Amino acid sequence: MDLIEVYIHEVTRRLPEKTREDIGLELRSTIEDMLPAEYREEDVKSVLEKMGNPAMLASGYQDKPMHLIGPRYFEAYLSLLKMILPIGAAIAVISLAAEHIFRYNEGGTVLTTFIAIMIEGVGSILEISFQTFFWVTLFFAILERTDKGKDMQPLTPYFKKWSPEDLKNIPNIPKKRSISRAEVFGSLLWTAIWSTVYFYANRLAGVYESGEEGLVFVTPSFNQEVLDSYWPVVLLVIGMDVALALYKFIKGQWTKKTAIFNTVNELLALVVFVLIINNQNLFQPEFIAYMSNLFTVTGDEFVDNAVLGSLIIYFIFAVISVFDGFRKARIR
Amino acid sequence: MSNLLNSLSTELRRGTLTLAVLSQLRTPQYGYSLVQSLEKSGIFIEQSTLYPLLRRLEKQELVTSSWDTSETRPRKYYVLSEYGKEVFEQLKEEWLKNSKELYKLLEGEEKDGLD
Repeated sequence: MDLIEVYIHEVTRRLPEKTREDIGLELRSTIEDMLPAEYREEDVKSVLEKMGNPAMLASGYQDKPMHLIGPRYFEAYLSLLKMILPIGAAIAVISLAAEHIFRYNEGGTVLTTFIAIMIEGVGSILEISFQTFFWVTLFFAILERTDKGKDMQPLTPYFKKWSPEDLKNIPNIPKKRSISRAEVFGSLLWTAIWSTVYFYANRLAGVYESGEEGLVFVTPSFNQEVLDSYWPVVLLVIGMDVALALYKFIKGQWTKKTAIFNTVNELLALVVFVLIINNQNLFQPEFIAYMSNLFTVTGDEFVDNAVLGSLIIYFIFAVISVFDGFRKARIR
Repeated sequence: MSNLLNSLSTELRRGTLTLAVLSQLRTPQYGYSLVQSLEKSGIFIEQSTLYPLLRRLEKQELVTSSWDTSETRPRKYYVLSEYGKEVFEQLKEEWLKNSKELYKLLEGEEKDGLD
């Protein structure tokens, strides 16, 4: 077996077709130059040793990176990944919730449904994370190989070369004013949870009694048809919630605009809440009967108190949220 | 420690290799003769660095190449182009200037050197 031949092939097979012959010839003549007139296999081996790993030699010729994502893009890659992954996970949860909303007819108790959602949730979060990771990585790997601006300057997350002007865009954010990723993720998750419960209320929200078979769902609290009839406005609130969360994520801190956005969002949600809770047919008659029996009041009294109570509680929370936003925005 | 020293001195040498190679290409050279003449001057260059480097220099139009098939074994000769000569002279000036400055720094003679 001709080691030299194999070596040259090992180099050239990694190179573009049109350069193979020329490089192959040059390598052969060089290797023969390095060998003594009469040579044995040992000599060939030692010369090839000097030539080094064929893969390394080939990569030297190729002028292509031997890494997936180099220093130029690594920082942009990492920060984009950190931004997209949690959002992807939240979308996974929300879409899973949506899927369950439209699957009315499946059997099983609340507990088994809940467990099924949890397991599926973990699965789909993992799946979406892998998907996101794959596509973002692929995008940057292609970018790394196609970008001809070969100055090795690392790029900022916004794909521009760094300049001192950038420093003006980095406000010195006091801790108390900043919005953490966890907070954004938490609010997205909260949106996913309440919207699931809302559209799924006839199976999730209601009276539970502990019987012999554990918790038993006795009667749903709400009339699902009434809830469903409000879907356009509820969808609007969900959209606003998500938009606000993303806005907070991008801003990273409470500003006057963030606080105003938050106020608009709370106001809209409050209006929708008032609208829905004042619907005469919202509560199931069985639920009203059960509760008024429990508290020994009349059905009307119970409904009035429940509506008033939840309105007050909701209003207090909304006001706290609005004021908290403006308070944080004012911190210097 | 010696590992670190190795990688630092490799880094130090890497930048000078192009200059060293260009300096030898004022007359036509083929790969192995180039290696030998560099080694004679005490400059050791990895084969896997040299050949790709020559090709890159050719792509940058600093050197031109031609096959000589008159001898027993065909050889690829490289020589500086006109443009390559210009660049080499400028690079040489740059290097001499830098190394003088660095020498002064290392010897701590900045004060005497000023006037």
